[in-house]
Parts: sequence; structure tokens; C-alpha cells
Amino acid sequence: MQMLKKITILLVTLMFFGCGSAVTRVSIPVKVQSEIDIGRYSNFAVLPFVSERHAERNEELPPEVGEDIAAVLRRGLARQKSFEVVNSQETARLLTGEDIGEEWLSDTKHLSQLGEYFEVKGIIVGSFRFYSDSRPRRYYGERYSIQRQRYVMDYQDYMQKTYLLALRVMIIDVETEKIVWDESYRRSTAEAHTIGSFIFSQAGPQANTVRELGRRAVSEFTRQISPHYEQEDRYLVK
Amino acid sequence: MLKYNRLASIAILACLILSGCALSRDTNQIEAYNQFAIRAAQAQLWNEAVFRWKQVIGVDPENSKAYNNLGVAYEALGDTDEAVAAYQRATELEPDNKYYRLNYRRCRIHIRRSGVDEDAPQLEEDESPSTE
Repeated sequence: MQMLKKITILLVTLMFFGCGSAVTRVSIPVKVQSEIDIGRYSNFAVLPFVSERHAERNEELPPEVGEDIAAVLRRGLARQKSFEVVNSQETARLLTGEDIGEEWLSDTKHLSQLGEYFEVKGIIVGSFRFYSDSRPRRYYGERYSIQRQRYVMDYQDYMQKTYLLALRVMIIDVETEKIVWDESYRRSTAEAHTIGSFIFSQAGPQANTVRELGRRAVSEFTRQISPHYEQEDRYLVK
Repeated sequence: MLKYNRLASIAILACLILSGCALSRDTNQIEAYNQFAIRAAQAQLWNEAVFRWKQVIGVDPENSKAYNNLGVAYEALGDTDEAVAAYQRATELEPDNKYYRLNYRRCRIHIRRSGVDEDAPQLEEDESPSTE
């Protein structure tokens, strides 16, 4: 009886192994279409992003950060063959004397007029909010105790500083003056600090962190509006 | 008479063995083509894989595995029309195979998402991705 049970278990195990190896998973490239009408919106002007000054917990940053984010977006879009983008020098030249503020984002008529001036189908504008959040954390680990001659539980307190960037990107149709895209992208990064390095980080420049987070947020936006390939799993049967 | 009967039985037996051998040779050939094609697909050599699976179908036109795998290869090559036709044939030949249904469903989702074919048939709700 015991023998019979063993044989049954062996057979069931073998059967499962057989089932498991009958299929092979492969990744195939699948084309993902743009989420906007690329036939219509083929050329853009990207205006410098503005800081949300009136928002709560928005840290003070150098004014050129908004332009830096816009420049990254221009470069990203220019690499896509579906789009043509007005370059940074041309944008700066055409915007000479203009003071871009938050109020521009709601004035689609003005943006549309600017679009006609730039001779584009769509204007990309947006705003950003950058802030940091610091919390004390405790890291548990083990250390070797010479006194006790064995590993003992130990902990270390540190400050975790999380930087958050909320980037709002809008596309305004120059012809209809309507907002055809309005999305927010949130990106964050965290770093661990001792008390000393934490104080130093509070006083140190944060523009590079914003630029890096901006680059990540902008690449997500570019991916959404550009046709691209993604990997998807399929099953081949042996 | 007895001798004649014995000869007839031997002849029938020989015929059966030979037909069995032929069948086994075909099965082995199909197996070999399929294995080779899967290895080619894993190496992203999709055109080679398509060629092999077409050969399998040439030998055995009712081979559902080959149709399913061919569907995957066509999809990888961006030929969604051919992929749908191949998946459809695979699910027709073996309607209860969850992998064929899953591949077919994912292909149709992709077509619908990409807007390649607006008239693609609606998905059945009962096809849950149980294998994921």
C-alpha cells in the first residue's frame, strides 16, 4: 500500500514536470501607438515650465530650472521621427521680452496665438512643484559583539530625505485653443543622511535633483505621445 | 490454407509496423522542426521560426501547436492579420487550450489598443488570465 502511494506521488510529480516544460514563454516586441493624433500634432513648441509659486510646500529653485526641463523635453521629442520641435534658441528668441508665469497656463487663447507665431500645431506648456520630505528612520541589522563572541541585533538611526517632483504637462491645440493633453507626472527619489549630512543637504543646491526627476517625468510623457515598442509575453507550445 | 493464413497475418503485421514507423518518423520530424523553431524564436530569429512552423503545417495540417506558435512569430514580425488567422486556427483545432486562448486574447487586446483594426471582435469576458 505504501509502495503504491509512493508510485502515485512520483507519477503526479512527473506529470507536473511534464506540464511545466510543455510551454516556453517568449517576449515579443509589440508596437504601441501614440496617445495623441500624431497626424494632426506633428510639430510643437515647448515653452519653459513654470514653478507653482502659490502651491504649498514648493521649494525655491533657480529660475532656469523650468527652461532646463523644457530643453530636455525638446531634445526627447526631436529624437522622435513623428515630431518636429522648435529648438531652444529659436524659442528663446521668439519669447524675448515675455515673462512666462503661472497665469499663462489658463490663458489658452494667448497660448494659441503664440502657437501661430511659432507656426506649430501644438504648444506644450506646464508647471512643476518640487518639495522634499524628511523622516527619521531606523535600520535594523546585526553586528559582531567581541564581548559576547557572537552577532547581536543592532540598529542605526538615520534621516531619510525624499525629493518629490510633480510635473504638469499640457498640450494646447493652436487651431481650436483647446487643451488636448493635461497630465501630471510624479517622480521621487530618496537618500539616507546622517545628522551632519542632512544639515548640509538642506543648505546645498537641489537643482540637479530637480533636473534628474524632470528628465524621468518628461521621458514618460514622451513615451506616451510617441509610437514605440514594448515587450509582451507570449507562449510557445512544445 | 493454414500456411496462407499465417503468411497473411505476417504481411498485415509487417504493414502495421511499417505504417507505425512512418507515423513515428513524421512525429519525430514535426517534433524536431518545432524544437528547432522554438530555439530560433528564443534567439529572435522569427523568419526562420516561421519557415519551420510552416514546414510542420505542411507535414501535419491539423497541428494546433504549430498554428499557435506561428501566430506568435507573425505577431513578433508585426504581421497582425496573419497572427490573428493563425491563432484563430489554433483555437479552432484545440478550443480548450488555455495558452492558445491567452495568446489570441493578448493579440486582440494589442490590436484594439493600437487601433489597427477597429472592427476586431469583442473579447469574451470568461477568458480570464488564469495562467498569469
